[in-house]
Amino acid sequence: MADTTFAGTDLPRRAEIEIDEQEVNRRKQFLEFRADDAEALKSLEPIAEQYADPVIEDLYRHFLSFDETGGFFRDPKVLERVKRLQREYFVRLTEGDYGADYVRNRLGIGTVHERIDLAPKWYLGAYSFYLRAVATRLLEAFGKEPQKAFSAFLSLMKLVFLDIGLAVETYIAARDRTMRKQQEAIRELSTPVLQIRDRLLLLPIIGVIDTHRARLITESLLRSIRANRARVVVMDVTGVATVDSKVAQHILQAVAAARLMGASVIVTGLSSNVAQSLVALGIDLGTLNTAGDLQGGIEDAERILGYRVVRAAETGRGPQLAERR
Amino acid sequence: MPAEVHVTIRDETDIVTARQRGRELAAIHGFSKTEQTFIATAISEVARNIVAYARRGEIVLATSQDQGRPCIVVVARDEGPGIQDVEVAMRDGYSTSKGLGMGLGGAKRLMDAFDLISAVGKGTTVTMKKCVR
Repeated sequence: MADTTFAGTDLPRRAEIEIDEQEVNRRKQFLEFRADDAEALKSLEPIAEQYADPVIEDLYRHFLSFDETGGFFRDPKVLERVKRLQREYFVRLTEGDYGADYVRNRLGIGTVHERIDLAPKWYLGAYSFYLRAVATRLLEAFGKEPQKAFSAFLSLMKLVFLDIGLAVETYIAARDRTMRKQQEAIRELSTPVLQIRDRLLLLPIIGVIDTHRARLITESLLRSIRANRARVVVMDVTGVATVDSKVAQHILQAVAAARLMGASVIVTGLSSNVAQSLVALGIDLGTLNTAGDLQGGIEDAERILGYRVVRAAETGRGPQLAERR
Repeated sequence: MPAEVHVTIRDETDIVTARQRGRELAAIHGFSKTEQTFIATAISEVARNIVAYARRGEIVLATSQDQGRPCIVVVARDEGPGIQDVEVAMRDGYSTSKGLGMGLGGAKRLMDAFDLISAVGKGTTVTMKKCVR
């Protein structure tokens, strides 16, 4: 699993977040990341090169000592690869030029985290470990000038927080994407058109009708009318709490389209509250065939289609039912 | 319950959030089911106008008292293109977005008080109020 997910790491999937140069600058302003910070970081490059391997060894030792993070690196080949990428990441911190390209690179890394399902708590925890490891090495490298080490560390902190911000946004973007997909799925699921008798369809609408869903409802309604050669459709809106002018328009349009397909629509389940607010809104639904409730609508529909529903006992048939009663 | 409820309006899902908040607030303050539906529908109309014309804006819901009766005040605010001629825009059947053109006039009829201020290029603010009968 980890192998396949990391396999694409060399070519990070294009990040979905777009951040232009202007936005990068704004973020840097807020972080107070200035030209001298970039200079300071760039001057650390030889030190970074020198310490990259030991820092990364420390980091992965830490990862491997926890099941939750170690699980990603069971395969030695994967471990080798991610260490190499980690090294690139590390050295990139001191290579200067922290513009849109840098951000794109960082977003790509965030996308990988999200793809392998590395929870933010582990990502942030690892970053804390990383910073401490780097701080120790900086103090070591600057020897008798701890002041300089500290100042360099502060510059690094600003850049690291730029990175962390990007990573968090990648996580959020992924969550948003999942939610959108689920909403799509729910919408698709919640527009069933049911055949209850030959040429009679039931379209129960529950929840919110927005433009997108209205289109789905109309499409599946028209498709079903054709497929079932339906003559009458009962559209039940008991589950719709608010009908504003837009929703009313959607309903009217669906009804008009159905009529063009040769099916008449009976709308049922308009609550008294909704009916009153439609009247107050001034919307004329007088052209609609309505029935008080779903049962009434189905009865009307059956009448139109020439069905007559009678109790089994009244016809003399269905003795079991009669006996049971 | 905070004194004011702010709902940022950017798309259709926000319209739903705004009217649900309005319905909840109305229920807490003793509005009847019908009045709750009126308020939710009116909020829906003005929120829709934000999405349709200004793309983004906000709805602020607050409560007040009028001669001892609880009232709900709805403010819909945007910094969109504004309305050229408010009188025409309020007219039933007038729409520049292929709608039924009943939104503003309808919202006004659903509520007790309705006020619309708009400046072309600056935005539009609708203030509506309804009190418990």
